[in-house]
Amino acid sequence: MSYIEIKDLKRKYVMSKEVSVEALGGVSFNIEKGEFLSVVGSSGSGKSTLLNILGGLDWEYKGKICIDGKDIKEYEPNFYRRHIVGTIFQQFYLIPSLSVEENILLPMKFVGTKVVDVKQRLEYLLDTVGLKSRREHLPKELSGGEAQRVAIARALIDCPKIVLADEPTGNLDSKTGESILNLLKELNKTEEVTIVLVTHDRETSKKTDRVITLVDGKNV
Amino acid sequence: MVKMFKYALDLILRRKLRTFLTSLGIMIAVMLMTFILFGMTDLQSAILTQFSSVFKPTDLYVSSQDMMGLSSMMSAPSKEAEKKEQVIVNEEIKEKIEEVEGVEDVYPMFILSGFDVYLEGDEIPYPRSFVQCVNLPGNHSMYTSFKGENPILKEDGIFVSDYVLSFFEISSEDILGKKIYVRSTTSRLLVPTTNKNMISREYVFTVQGVVETSNNAFWITADKGLDILVDIGRFTNRQEYIEKVGYSQILVSTAEGETLEVERYLTEELGLNVISTKTIVDFISTLTSGLAIALVVFGLISALVASIGIINTMVMSIYEQTREIGIVKAIGASNTQVLVIFLIQSGLIGLIGGVLGLTITYLLMKVSDPFLVEILKEQGFGSITQFFHFQPLNAIYITLGSILIGVLAGIYPAMKAAKLDPVKALRYE
Repeated sequence: MSYIEIKDLKRKYVMSKEVSVEALGGVSFNIEKGEFLSVVGSSGSGKSTLLNILGGLDWEYKGKICIDGKDIKEYEPNFYRRHIVGTIFQQFYLIPSLSVEENILLPMKFVGTKVVDVKQRLEYLLDTVGLKSRREHLPKELSGGEAQRVAIARALIDCPKIVLADEPTGNLDSKTGESILNLLKELNKTEEVTIVLVTHDRETSKKTDRVITLVDGKNV
Repeated sequence: MVKMFKYALDLILRRKLRTFLTSLGIMIAVMLMTFILFGMTDLQSAILTQFSSVFKPTDLYVSSQDMMGLSSMMSAPSKEAEKKEQVIVNEEIKEKIEEVEGVEDVYPMFILSGFDVYLEGDEIPYPRSFVQCVNLPGNHSMYTSFKGENPILKEDGIFVSDYVLSFFEISSEDILGKKIYVRSTTSRLLVPTTNKNMISREYVFTVQGVVETSNNAFWITADKGLDILVDIGRFTNRQEYIEKVGYSQILVSTAEGETLEVERYLTEELGLNVISTKTIVDFISTLTSGLAIALVVFGLISALVASIGIINTMVMSIYEQTREIGIVKAIGASNTQVLVIFLIQSGLIGLIGGVLGLTITYLLMKVSDPFLVEILKEQGFGSITQFFHFQPLNAIYITLGSILIGVLAGIYPAMKAAKLDPVKALRYE
């Protein structure tokens, strides 16, 4: 049994009675624990839809996704998004008025229970992403690469089992993009976290352990 | 919850000006409400206390005319009402009143108005003066206190009020024994028009006592008053005056528990106008309650307008924060948590408005209170030392009410925010 099992995943967007778009038309593949996997596909291939479903943002799908043998539909959506997965976006999505440190700690505002080691975890992540000296800075004072590092630290603050990265290097120059990929690779090893990276760039996907290619909503 | 509160606080502090402007509506509503609570309640009790100190609950003031115009203020004029006012309170009526069960004492009264009243050695007459003519001793409950040797008025004796002392700038000790000149001038006479040809006269009295009533008045005996009215009206004798004009008023003292029944008899059976403590209290209550209701209505309208302002602001901030809502949902915020964050924001706007309103009202109260007290004292409310009374408990209730208005106004926008689809919210431009 694989760590993540995706079976016959389908997603259709109904625009009107006559018009509907099938974004995913029966995607199936498995992901092993601690794997660094990339999903590659051109625009409209369904990779963002797949990531939204895996990230717990879209629950209107058909098929089955099991993590460690448990169907993700058995989780409360917000619990799933909070504790099971951490998501990194192409546009970083940092809160402009919050400092680096506050942005990283943002997910912890929605955790009901008190997290004792959160300060220690924050220091560790700031050190890992190399932003200890920029902790008080606002997002507008950061470069694109630094902003993405903040987003990575935010995704990892609550120790998720899986990190989903949606085009994490899409808004960065090649050198910065490479450093981000190296960081993800390092975290994949040190944190033993499973990473699913979505990209349209074949070169980026070559840095990962395995590549899944999506074409017109199906994996080939 | 604390973390979410801090986050919500951060959200509203990002838009300080808009938050302040939105909270202004609540602020105005709170100012109106606090004015009612801290001012009106005490105003009503002050008026009633002042009134009760002069009028005994068992006393009734009877006259042929509507003395305070209460009934005419509350209803349209009618011929029947006019006919009713033609009743003359003469000796026959007085005797009927004396025979009513429950009546203990009857004091006929006359009122001389429009006279110039001078103090010996002073050229300026006392303004707004009227002379009450009644055979009441100085220690009667109608007077708050009496200073003088003999409380029983002599034929040429006169009692003066403490207001008279302050006008003539003389102490109560010094005025005793001084002469008071009451001069009638035909141009200023306001005595009943049924009098015959009136002439100018001067009557001399000796100050026999000083009474504290917070009233612009002088008191002489009923007999002397009647003689003056007969004299200036050129009536043949007292009997003719009473038959044709009648007593100005009759003070009727009733036994405890009988007042209402006596009042009913005098008004319904004898067709007289009666002013009782109850009438006055009801009238004052109606006036102050009406004012309070008007202010409450204004307050509620302000609160409603303020609520619409909050709804508008919160809906606007949903559009501005759509992507942020998407982000917090993507990183694990539940619908309920988003709902709570927005409710905290709207509640905070209410709180800011409430605190601002209370603070401004408090400061205005502190600044204006001495002036209001001064004005009220001039109007006869000598017992008032403070007009506004800041009530901490009510201030807490008002603050909680402001928060509640904010929260209620925030329900719709908060629900709208909570229901946002995170995928669509993240894509929102």
